[in-house]
Amino acid sequence: MSAGLPLSEDDLSAYADRQLPPERVAEVAARLVEEPALAARVAAIQRQNAMLRDAFDPWLAEALPRDFIAAASGRRARPSRATRAWPAFAAAASLLAGVALGWLVRGELLQREGTPVTFPRQAALTHALYATDANRPVEIWANEEERMVRWLSKRLSFPLHAPNLNSVGFALVGGRLVAGNERPGALFMYENADKQRISLLVRKDAEPARETAFRYALEDGVGVFYWIDDSCGYALSGNLDKLQLLSIARIVYGQLAAAEASAPKP
Amino acid sequence: MPDTLPDPDLISALPRLRRYARVLTGDFTRADDLVQDTLARAWEKRRLWKAGSDLRAWLFTIMHNVYVNQRSVRRRESAESSIDADQGPVAGWEIPTRATQSDRIELAEVLAQIARLPGEQREVLLLAAVEELRYEEIARVQGVPIGTVMSRLNRAREKLRHINSEPAAQSFKVVK
Repeated sequence: MSAGLPLSEDDLSAYADRQLPPERVAEVAARLVEEPALAARVAAIQRQNAMLRDAFDPWLAEALPRDFIAAASGRRARPSRATRAWPAFAAAASLLAGVALGWLVRGELLQREGTPVTFPRQAALTHALYATDANRPVEIWANEEERMVRWLSKRLSFPLHAPNLNSVGFALVGGRLVAGNERPGALFMYENADKQRISLLVRKDAEPARETAFRYALEDGVGVFYWIDDSCGYALSGNLDKLQLLSIARIVYGQLAAAEASAPKP
Repeated sequence: MPDTLPDPDLISALPRLRRYARVLTGDFTRADDLVQDTLARAWEKRRLWKAGSDLRAWLFTIMHNVYVNQRSVRRRESAESSIDADQGPVAGWEIPTRATQSDRIELAEVLAQIARLPGEQREVLLLAAVEELRYEEIARVQGVPIGTVMSRLNRAREKLRHINSEPAAQSFKVVK
């Protein structure tokens, strides 16, 4: 129909950003096949988008000032306590605990900033925070899995693998960078047909930790299987039956071990 | 008509809100103040938020308006000095921590290039390319017609065209 019309700059942008109305996608895609110069423009826009995300995404993993948490719940922080920055996960931890226990005790919880957060607790809270996020549970979606794994590996400074859990009905949703105690961690999110979500948190701290067997913890109703392997902590979290979660944790463990065995030794 | 905002959602939007503030103001300290002012405004206006709609886009809209209002106040106050605070290149953007050395150079260069764009082009670029907001949503955030969004986006992309061509080394020579 409109095959003769030249594609506008807007068309190319919309196509590159996947915002073209569905009825026009096929038409534009066909034109791009015919005109390699335009296809190259689209590819350049997409490369530029990827580069912009690489440049701006690290900001998301920074610790948030604790005043933000107070302001986000409709209160201004008291100025005397306003200066301390808090790791984002600890803030989220207090928040979620506060939601669970009721607003009255929240103020107190926010002040217990010295409370150490254990690895399974961090995993459960991080899971609770992002698994319920309808719009943006992950920073990079699974359709860009390769870029996501590359980006997270770069940020964590060691090679990561996103396990494939399709065999147990969980598809990869995507991944995100999350704040950790000393270094950032990576979170991979999975979802099954019933929209149940589970997540795998991977974290490596500066202090090498001792290897452990599988351990189980129940934190605020979220089940967590966690283990430490080669000084790297892994935690699989979800609101699943314990045995079901364990069987998935075994698959994750097996796949990571296989990936490690096949990786070239440094 | 919800009486409260969904807290965990609001918390999980904070890092993005802060990032948007940094892109708007070009200044980390002012950005954090802007986040605070935006959250306060969002709480005042929480009854206007439609439950189930995209909280992130709603917050971006509020932030944009708070920022524009504050800027016009500042301009009135310093009218005689005739400095246009928004149009100059941004100073004081820090390179994200935790990047490796070679990363830092590359990312610093990308950020420096973006910092030279006019404010509204920076804003559109972040919302479209990084936040992946729909163009219609960006138009609502900025309070402009969608055609204006597209032309800002196209101009920003055109100006940054050289940074996506493979090595960043060459772009160090770019003169303002």
